[in-house]
Amino acid sequence: MNKNSKRVLAVVAASGLVLASVALSSANAATKSVTLVYQGPLTGTDAQTGQDELLGAKTAVAIYNATNPAVTVKLITADDQGEGAVAGTVAPGIAANKAVVGVVGPAYSGASIASFPSYKSTGLTMVSPSATRVTLTDPKSADNGYPFFHRVVGNDALQGPAVVRWSTKGVTSPKVYVIDDQTPYGTGLRDAALDYIKATKVSLVGKDSVAQKTSDYSATVAKIKSAGANVVIYTGYYPDGGQLAKALDDASWKGTFAGGDGVLNDAYIGVAGKAAAEGSKFTAPAVPFEIAASDAQQAAFTKATGLKTAAGHVYVTETFNATNVFLACIKQGKTSRAGIQLCVSTGTFYGLDGKTVLKFTRFGEVVGGAPVGGFQVVNGTIKYFGAV
Amino acid sequence: MNFSVVLNQFWPLLISGLALGFIYVLISLGYTMVYGVLRLINFANSEIFMVGTFATVIVSRYFFHFDQNTDPLHGFRLFYTMGACLIASMLMSGVTAVMVELIAYRRLRAKGTNRLASLISAIGTSIMLQEGVRILTHSTPMSNPRLLRKFGAITIGDVNTPNNVVIRNDILLVIVFAAALFFAVDRFVSKTLLGKAIRAVSMSEETSRLMGINLNRVISATFLIGGFMTGAAAFLYETVYENTKYNVGFSIGLAAFTAAVLGGIGNLRGAFFGGLTLGLLEVFIAAVLGTQWKSVTVFVVLVLVLLFKPNGLFGEAVQQSRV
Amino acid sequence: MLNIRDKGAEIWEGWNRPTRSTFVIGLIAVVMMLPYAGNFSFTNILNTPISSYQAVLVYPVGMFVLMALGLNIVVGKSGLLDLGYVAFFAIGAYTAAIMGTHFHWNTWECLPLGMALAMLSGVLLGLPTLRLRGDYLAIVTLGFGEIVRIVAVNNPSIGGPNGIANVPNPPKTLGVSFGLDHMESFFWVVVIMILLIIWMVRRFTARRPGRAWEAIRQDEDVAALMGVSTLKYKIWSFSIGAAIGGAAGVIFASKSMYVAPDMFSFNISVLILSCVVFGGMGNIWGVILGGTLLAYIPERIRFISNARQFVFGVALVLIMNIRPDGLLPRKKREKITKAGE
Repeated sequence: MNKNSKRVLAVVAASGLVLASVALSSANAATKSVTLVYQGPLTGTDAQTGQDELLGAKTAVAIYNATNPAVTVKLITADDQGEGAVAGTVAPGIAANKAVVGVVGPAYSGASIASFPSYKSTGLTMVSPSATRVTLTDPKSADNGYPFFHRVVGNDALQGPAVVRWSTKGVTSPKVYVIDDQTPYGTGLRDAALDYIKATKVSLVGKDSVAQKTSDYSATVAKIKSAGANVVIYTGYYPDGGQLAKALDDASWKGTFAGGDGVLNDAYIGVAGKAAAEGSKFTAPAVPFEIAASDAQQAAFTKATGLKTAAGHVYVTETFNATNVFLACIKQGKTSRAGIQLCVSTGTFYGLDGKTVLKFTRFGEVVGGAPVGGFQVVNGTIKYFGAV
Repeated sequence: MNFSVVLNQFWPLLISGLALGFIYVLISLGYTMVYGVLRLINFANSEIFMVGTFATVIVSRYFFHFDQNTDPLHGFRLFYTMGACLIASMLMSGVTAVMVELIAYRRLRAKGTNRLASLISAIGTSIMLQEGVRILTHSTPMSNPRLLRKFGAITIGDVNTPNNVVIRNDILLVIVFAAALFFAVDRFVSKTLLGKAIRAVSMSEETSRLMGINLNRVISATFLIGGFMTGAAAFLYETVYENTKYNVGFSIGLAAFTAAVLGGIGNLRGAFFGGLTLGLLEVFIAAVLGTQWKSVTVFVVLVLVLLFKPNGLFGEAVQQSRV
Repeated sequence: MLNIRDKGAEIWEGWNRPTRSTFVIGLIAVVMMLPYAGNFSFTNILNTPISSYQAVLVYPVGMFVLMALGLNIVVGKSGLLDLGYVAFFAIGAYTAAIMGTHFHWNTWECLPLGMALAMLSGVLLGLPTLRLRGDYLAIVTLGFGEIVRIVAVNNPSIGGPNGIANVPNPPKTLGVSFGLDHMESFFWVVVIMILLIIWMVRRFTARRPGRAWEAIRQDEDVAALMGVSTLKYKIWSFSIGAAIGGAAGVIFASKSMYVAPDMFSFNISVLILSCVVFGGMGNIWGVILGGTLLAYIPERIRFISNARQFVFGVALVLIMNIRPDGLLPRKKREKITKAGE
C-alpha cells in the first residue's frame, strides 16, 4: 500500500472540525399553524424573479394572518435557484417536512419538472404562479404534474395567439419580427406565437434569439430595420425587452413593439424610457398588482414587504393569487395534505380583485384558460384594454 | 445566413460595433494591466465594472434626484452632472479595484503562493461583490435617467435612403472619449515615472525590486488605473445603454477578457485592437448568423487566432508598449 | 501552523499493515453509511434544513467530489488551468438523457458511452489548444464550456432551453434499487466511482504518467528538454479528467431524471475549480475535503437563504487568505522517484 494513503487520517480529523463548526438551527412550527413553502429562485442569476414573487406570497399571508384565523400560516422559502439541478435536492427535503401542506411554486418550468417526482410521491399540492410550459399540464406528456400541479397563469398556448392578435390590431399590412430571449418561457411563448402566425398567414419577416443580459441590441435592430418590419414581438422579460425597445427607438425605428406578460411591468417604461415605451403593447393572463390592487391591498403590500409599490416586480399578482388558493382552503379548515389537494383541485377561488374566478381543470390548468388581457402604454402609463 | 442586412445596414452596424468595441477596450485594460504586472487574471474586474455602473446611476438618481421623467439637460448643467457621474464611476471602480487587490491578492502574494489560490480568492471577492449588490438592490435592475438628449450628431448621405450614415451623439462621445482615455493611459505608461515602474515590474518583478521600486505601491497603482478605466467604461455604458443590474458584469466582463486575450493579454495596444475587433465581430456575426450564435462564433475565432498566433494578435510583437 | 496532513501522515506511518487495512475498510463503511446519518439524534447536526440531506449527499456533495477529483488530474497534477470543466459533465449528462429517452439504454450502458464521448471531446479540444500556455488555455476552455451550453440551448432537437425530461433511473442492479426514495443507492455508486478514481490516480502518480505530469507542472520547458512528450501527457491528463466529468454527468442525469442547459453554467466550472484549490490542489484527500465542504456548506446554511451565496464568497476569500495552499496541501514536492511501491 502506498504511503500517500496516510492522508486518509487527515481527512477524518478535518471532518471532525467541520462537524464542530456547523451551526445548529431549527425552529419548530407553533401549534395550530401550518406551513406553506414558496419555491423559486432566491439567489443566483434568476434571483430577481423569485424575490419578486415572494413579495406577493408575503402580502397574501400577511393579509390572511391579520384576520386572526383559527389556523395561522407560516411562510417559508425554498431557494431552488430556478435550476432543475438544485430543485432536485430541495424538493425531497420539502416533501419530507411534515409541517408543509402546500407549495407556492415552483416558479420555473424546469425546476417544476425536477420537483414533480418528490411532490407526487408525498401528495404535496403545488400552485405555480409562473411555470407556463405547456407539457406541465398536458395529460399526454410524461412529465406532467397530475394531480398535484396547478397554475394560476395561462399557458403559452393561449398567450401566444393573443400577443399576435393584439400587436397586429390596427396595423395595416403588418410585417412581424419575432425575438425571444432563449429562456424556456421565451421560447415557449415564441413557438406558440409562431404557430399562430403560420396558421393565420400573418406576414413574418424574420426572427432572432437574443440571450438575456445582452446589452447591445444593435445587430438585432439592424436586422429589424433591414427586414422592414412594422411589428416587433418580444417574448422575454421586461429588463431586456425595455432595452430592445429603447435601442429600436434610438435607431428611429417606427412601429409597434409588443410583448407578453414577462414584459408587462411598470418598470418597463423606466427601462425603455417614456418615448420608446409609448404605444408598446402587452398581453397577460393577470393584471399587474400595482394596477389591480385595492388601496387596502396596496397598504398591506407595503406593510408586508417594506416597498412602496409593486411596480418593477414581476408576477406579484400571480403569486398573490396562488398563495390565496391555499389560504382559502386553510380557511375552510383543510390542514392536511390530502384535504388541501382535494380542496385546491375542486374548489372555486377568486383573484386579486375578488371577482376573477379561478378554478382548475383536472390537469391543473385554470378553467377557461384565464382570459388573456391586452394592455398598452398610453401617455406614460399602462392601460388595460380588456380581453383580446 | 443573412447577408442582405450587412449590405443594407453596413454603416449602423459598423458604428455600433465600434462603440461596443471601445467600451470593451477600456474594460479589457483592467484585465490586461493587472495581468501585465501580476501574471494573474483579475477575475473580479467584471464586478468592478458592475459597481461602476451603479455609481453613475446612484449619483444621477439619488444625488441629483433625476428620474425617468426628467427632461434632458443642456449646457453647463449637463456638463457638470455627467462629469460628476463619470468621476463617481471612476472613483468607485478605482477604489473597488484597490480593495480587491488588498483583499484578494496582497496577502497571498506576500506568501508567494501558487497562482490559483489568488484566482480563487478573486472569484470569492467577485461572488461577494455581486451577491452584496444583489441583496442591497433587492435583485431589481436600475435604469439611468436620460440626461443627454440623443440625436444624430453627424449625418452623411441622404436621410431618406437606407444607407445613410447617422452617428448619434452618445455613440460619438463613447468613441472619442474612450479613444482619448486609451491614448492618455498609453502615454502615461510609456512616459511617466510610475508608468515606467509599472512596465519594469511587468518585465521582471525581481529586478524592479532590486532597482528600488516599491512593488506594493506599483501594483496598487496598476489596479487603480485599471479600475479607473473600467469605471469610465461603466459610465459610458450607462450613457448608451442606461440600465444596470447586479449581474451586468458577467457577460460584458467575459467579452472584455476575451478581447484582452484576442489582442494578446498583458499588452496595452493588444487590448485596443482586441477590443475593437471583438466589438465589430460580435455585431456583424449577430447580424449575419443570428444573435444566438454570437458567442460560439467569437470563441471559435478566438481559438483559431490562438492556433496561428499563440500569444494573441499583438502578443509579444509590441514589446515596447507592454505594460 | 498546524499541518493536519503531516500529522495524519505521521500517525499513518506508525501503523502496521493490518491496522491500516482495518482503518481503510472501516472508513469506507462509515462513508457508505452517511446517507443514514441524518436520522439519528446524535448525528442530525449533519442534516440540511429545507433540502433533502440524502439528495444533497449525491448532488452536489458526491458529484462535486467526483468532478473535483477529475479536475484535479488536469489542474492539480499537470498544472493545466481548465475553466470549462462543466462541458464534460454536460456531455455525459446529455448522452445519458438522449440515449435513455430515445433509445431506452439503461444507465450502465450509457456510462461507457458518456465517458467515451466526453473523452473524445477532450482530445478534440486538447489537440489544438494544449499547445497554448496557461492563461490562454483557461480562456479557451472557458469558451468551450459556454459553447456546449449554448449549442444545447440552440438545438430544439435536444429540447433547446427546455432540456430533456424523464431520463430513466438506473434499473435494479445486484439487488439494489434506484429511485427517488433510494438516494442512498446513487450515493453508493458515486462512492464506488470515487474509490476507483482514487485507486487509479494513485497508480498513475507513482508511474510514468504521474511523473510526466509532475514534471510538466513544475517546468514544462525542462520537461520537454528531458524528453517528456509533453503534448501527449497533457492530452492524456485532459481526456482522463474529461472522462471522469462525463461519468459524473451520466449518473447525474439518471439521478435527477431531467437535464437542461442552465444546469451546466460557468458557475459550476468555477465551483469545481474552487473545490480543487480550496481543498488542496494535487492532493486527493484535500480535494475530497474541499469538494465536500464547498458542496455541503451552502446547503447547510440554507436558513440564511438570501445571504447564503454572499457568505460563501466571504468564506472562499478568508480560507484562501489563511491557507493559500488549501486545507490539506500537497507535500512541497511529491515523491516522484519511488516508482510503484
